[in-house]
Amino acid sequence: MSETGLHDRTAVDESELVARLRAGDERAFEALVERHYPTMLAVARHYVKTRAVAEEVVQEAWLGVLNGIDRFQGRSSLRTWILRILVNTAKTRGEREARTVPFASLAPEDDEPAVESERFRGADDPFPGHWRAYPGNWQRLPDEVLAARETLDIVIATIHQLPAPQRIVITMRDIQGCDSEEVCEALDVSEGNQRVLLHRARAKVRSALEGHLDG
Amino acid sequence: MAEHEHISCQEVVELVTGYLDQTLPPEEASLFEQHINFCDGCEWYLDQMRTTISTVGRITEEDVPPDTREKLLTAFREWKRS
Repeated sequence: MSETGLHDRTAVDESELVARLRAGDERAFEALVERHYPTMLAVARHYVKTRAVAEEVVQEAWLGVLNGIDRFQGRSSLRTWILRILVNTAKTRGEREARTVPFASLAPEDDEPAVESERFRGADDPFPGHWRAYPGNWQRLPDEVLAARETLDIVIATIHQLPAPQRIVITMRDIQGCDSEEVCEALDVSEGNQRVLLHRARAKVRSALEGHLDG
Repeated sequence: MAEHEHISCQEVVELVTGYLDQTLPPEEASLFEQHINFCDGCEWYLDQMRTTISTVGRITEEDVPPDTREKLLTAFREWKRS
């Protein structure tokens, strides 16, 4: 993993790339593949068992994209449209592969507070639910601390350990720059569930950073 | 008059994601903002969450594997010919 985020690049005009792709421009195709491959692979891995099959699903989905590009009308984002083709491909394949984890497992489990309840004053306190001690003020931290490789490694390790549904949602939203609509479409979850999964994932990463930065 | 409406810090931390996504109902969003305006702890928590998100955003994922790239380019050239 390197240091430059995708977020800035995704804003580059997609309709131009689509037009060039329709005209058979190989560079445009490569640019689209580079841009969307990580998200496609992550989503495909969610529907099929192995990375090898997920790779095949992504490749098959690109054929679907090429064969259907003339019908893309821009009513949704190109990414949403590509992900829809990918999910259809993956689901067909997933059924053949008899994936063991049911997709319904994406539904959030029990209550899981963003911050441990011990950090707030109890019901018998004059200020119930208020911080016992404030969280740290990170604006006072030197920039180098946040930018340090070590800090990033802690974030990567924490995301790696998240339950799969939380991991894919935070990956799509905060690493790959998808919006909530794209996530809901790709994972077949409600907006509310998507938000709960993102909320829990971010809370755990924040907590890991807190342990590192304030510890 | 009912007691002045407010939310606790413990409630604020659970609303942060909805607030950042701008999906809170207007009344809740305004209670959230009122709270943040007078509570340093929650202001710093919100700032920590923004920092968390931007730090996660610095991760990039692996490049397209070379053999996948080759297969896709071959498929593209076939598609172009057809």
